[in-house]
Amino acid sequence: MTVILPPLVVDVRVKEAGTRGFRIWFPFVLLWPLLIVIVGFALIVALLVDAALCLSGARYHHYSLLLLKSLHLLAEVRGTHAHINSPDSLVDVDIY
Amino acid sequence: MSEERTRILGMLAEGKITATEAETLLDALASAAEAPVAGTPAPTSASDWPTGPSASGTPKFMYVKVTGKDQVDVKVPLALLRAGLKLTSLIPPQAMDQINESMGEAGMSIDFNNLKPEDIEEIITSLREMEVNVQASDGNNVRVFCA
Repeated sequence: MTVILPPLVVDVRVKEAGTRGFRIWFPFVLLWPLLIVIVGFALIVALLVDAALCLSGARYHHYSLLLLKSLHLLAEVRGTHAHINSPDSLVDVDIY
Repeated sequence: MSEERTRILGMLAEGKITATEAETLLDALASAAEAPVAGTPAPTSASDWPTGPSASGTPKFMYVKVTGKDQVDVKVPLALLRAGLKLTSLIPPQAMDQINESMGEAGMSIDFNNLKPEDIEEIITSLREMEVNVQASDGNNVRVFCA
């Protein structure tokens, strides 16, 4: 069984020439409880829609699977790093 | 002590996060600093990244490196590509038709309906042999490879 683990921390640093710049270090883990509630609610709705579509004979009835795979896609963002250093700006994005 | 560790411990002390959440965050920081193990983040320092495609094995990341006037280092997990391609097979047909039409208008005639799950692993493995080198007119050198 695949464990879906959304990002834990998102770290964004932006600095432009002549400015102080800013840094957002956001512990995404704090949003997990909210995410669980939203996904749980959406999953129930999607399951009901899928069941209705299946009973009505529709060929496509995979909305709940689509939702889970979308969450999986979000989880796979972990490990993304981008570092851009141009003469005008410096941007760092790290997702753990 | 790193700035991130101090922040996590500060949040724990202020009661903003629980001990379990603090432990999870500290574990994530520790695993990011260690050598890459399956399922854990690789080193974040671009100097530790591979300089070219891996000779064997399944590639884990796609790297984009720009050297010259601009310095760009981007590392994207190939698991993200894998998950994205798998997601395309679940997109409702009506939406997929619109996506294909829009991509066709943009000059990318890729029909995702023809993409089978078994093809995805083959694509990922084949990416190991891919390497793109571009010498731009502005002096920048762009390299794209998977390792």
